[in-house]
Amino acid sequence: MEGSDSLEQSGSDLPESQRRRQLDRLDREEAFYQFVNNLSDEDYRLMRDNNLLGTPGEVTEDELFNRLQQIKDGPEQQNNTPSTEVGEDPVVQPENSEDPASGDSLLDWLNTVRRTGNTTRTGHRGNQSWRAVSQTNPNSGDFRFSLEISVNRNLAEQQAAAEGEQESPDEAPEGQEVVANVEPQVPMETEVVEEPVVEELAVIVEPEPELEEVVSQEILGEPPSSPAALPVQAPLSPSPRRGQRRARSRSPEPRRTRARTARSRSPLSLDQLDGLANPRQAHSSQGPNSATNAPPVPQVEGSSRTRQHVLSRQSTADTDVQPSRAGAESVPEAQNVESQEGEAAGGEGGGEGGAGGRRPPTIMLDLQVRRVRPGEYRQRDSIASRTRSRSQNSNNTFLYESERGGFRRTFSRSERAGVRTYVSTIRIPIRRISDAGLGEATSMALQSMIRQIMTGFGELGYLMDSDSDSSDSTRGASTPSDLGEALNNPDATPAAAPAADVDEAPVAAGVRARTVETDVVEGLATGPPASGGRARPRPPISLEEPSSLPFLRLAHFFLLNDDDEDQPQGLTKEQIDNLSMRNFGESDALKTCSVCITEYAEGNKLRKLPCSHEYHVHCIDRWLSENSTCPICRRAVLVSANRESVV
Amino acid sequence: MQRTSRLKRELQMLSTEPPPGITCWQTDEQVDDLRAQIVGGTGTPYEGGLFSLEIKIPERYPFEPPKMRFLTPIYHPNIDNSGRICHDALKLPPKGAWKPSLNISAVLSSIQLLMAEPNPDDPLMADISSEFKYNKQLFMEKARKWTQEHAVQRNTGVMEGNKENTPDQKSSSRKRESLTEQQEAEEPAKKTCL
Repeated sequence: MEGSDSLEQSGSDLPESQRRRQLDRLDREEAFYQFVNNLSDEDYRLMRDNNLLGTPGEVTEDELFNRLQQIKDGPEQQNNTPSTEVGEDPVVQPENSEDPASGDSLLDWLNTVRRTGNTTRTGHRGNQSWRAVSQTNPNSGDFRFSLEISVNRNLAEQQAAAEGEQESPDEAPEGQEVVANVEPQVPMETEVVEEPVVEELAVIVEPEPELEEVVSQEILGEPPSSPAALPVQAPLSPSPRRGQRRARSRSPEPRRTRARTARSRSPLSLDQLDGLANPRQAHSSQGPNSATNAPPVPQVEGSSRTRQHVLSRQSTADTDVQPSRAGAESVPEAQNVESQEGEAAGGEGGGEGGAGGRRPPTIMLDLQVRRVRPGEYRQRDSIASRTRSRSQNSNNTFLYESERGGFRRTFSRSERAGVRTYVSTIRIPIRRISDAGLGEATSMALQSMIRQIMTGFGELGYLMDSDSDSSDSTRGASTPSDLGEALNNPDATPAAAPAADVDEAPVAAGVRARTVETDVVEGLATGPPASGGRARPRPPISLEEPSSLPFLRLAHFFLLNDDDEDQPQGLTKEQIDNLSMRNFGESDALKTCSVCITEYAEGNKLRKLPCSHEYHVHCIDRWLSENSTCPICRRAVLVSANRESVV
Repeated sequence: MQRTSRLKRELQMLSTEPPPGITCWQTDEQVDDLRAQIVGGTGTPYEGGLFSLEIKIPERYPFEPPKMRFLTPIYHPNIDNSGRICHDALKLPPKGAWKPSLNISAVLSSIQLLMAEPNPDDPLMADISSEFKYNKQLFMEKARKWTQEHAVQRNTGVMEGNKENTPDQKSSSRKRESLTEQQEAEEPAKKTCL
């Protein structure tokens, strides 16, 4: 299409050649119609669904024929193969689709998914493998996307352990920096030793308390150089810290769990992990109050505290921006989260304590973004049902739900030996809100939804990331550069900004470093509060290096397609296929397709809409892929769409 | 391109049986760039004027509506300073009412109708709109004046008038182009005309 534009432009200089080209195109167009008319239904569908038809006049008949042959010979791997396995033992080096560059392919794929319905795709990166599945419900037109990511920590753990040993002595100061960073993220009221962290890869580093203050200040400005991100033990007395912490907790950002901090810091070595898990649980069970004592961890805390201070200012700013959320939701939620977390973690610890460090953990992220029409949005697929389906896993299910601004999101996490599942579901009645009378608010609502989605991805990405980082031995190398990117990359910032908070950039640096440090469980703690309100300074997930995960891309995808969302929703190909079709016969009265203003010729395939209006199949299909009304009478093609749609 | 053959047919129809008061033609052999003129309707403040429009045919036409804009300045609640038109047939559903069974001729006719009957409840120019609602007298006067200034080919000294008019129009349309660019850049943010 672009080609034709340029043709036409150059045509003003060379009208003759241009005219010729237009004639050629007309010929090809005729050929196209002929070709389409001669296709069997099956072939037509095949080609359409694979976007092989192109635009009339664009390609020659021969080319079309070739495409048809190709698609017939080798059914496309992407299509209809939702069963690709999620690699259990993903290779450490990046495979096919998850290279930095390949994010685009994911995007492309997503785009086609929108058009074509159900698709599955998988990929690997490092010790992660992902599987993305999208489904379009033929009846309702709902779009459902889920992304699962499995992390195999075995490889990473071993490496990490090895590295940790090497690096720990040298890295000490830097390690502190990292830790410090961790704190700011965790301005929570909650108590320190809440959760037993089973899988932490903690390495003990030499404590260097003095540095901490300085470091923390600096960090905001500069990315911490410590790649290893090892927890440091600072030999400071716990009490002063505590005071600090208190102050901190008063800060408007009561989001994070302290527990995490303690955890990440905890002076565990890999070998110890298994054994320690249980004791820690005990701590957690003590509850918030006792937890404050943060028995094993005191020293580290100090450094983090400092950090915290600096950051908390920023977070305050944030909070101002979103005061209602932070205030209203965050506090109660946070506590809930805490307690539940404790339980969950406890359960986990008990179950897994033995398996501990060596178990093959799999983390599955299942993020679903669903579009829902307003009419249907309500009881259907209630959280309860979702929960039920998920909760078979165990009682270790944590479910968080919030509803705000017309959309609802749930976040749940469940665990069962070795498998932890995060589910973040966002239900969005995107379409036709305006019909419901919101009017002008619509676009705003839309914006915020999109942001929600982004955040959703971001959160998961964050969880994912923290996990992968902690388990990924290579993190050391990548961290500084990531930070640099975060700070310097102007592109990234805008992407992150809408998703999270205002003060992104500086926070980002800190956060990022912290991410490196934290482990899975920490990620857990982060998750639920995050979904509550995003007031606290969150890590701008999107600042990750492009290769890290598809989240950033996804976020962009949805953001960029914001405009699309504004546009009419089309029918799915299943819905289109359900419409009746016939061949134009010689006995038919002379008629014209009002889309292409061409008279029907014998043998033309026509599609008849419920309102009895007929069009060329290829004409109306294209319109219906983006619209849902008859081009002549504007009646909805799917009258019962709303009623039918049940996912 | 579907649009190529369709446009060919449409242009044929436009030249053989144009709607009353409307002409439309291709510029420079460009399929996707058309010009149209609408004669100001009798009984409207635009009477006696001849209003030029620019029509851009998008790549995905007829699945997307044609883009139309007034080149001749016109004082109208639904047409802004750069000539953009707030008209539902020029937009895709659900906001708009474009459908592929419409065509350029139909849309031009509906714009002609819009000129005769402004829609002050969906204004693009808020001040003109309120003027139209609450001080119609003034509105009529101004609209007539604009018509005289910009859209009327003077009877006396046609040549002269043309000479004067042509550069005039050119400069104004040039202004418009730059204006439009600006505004299109802002477009996503502001949605005046919903």
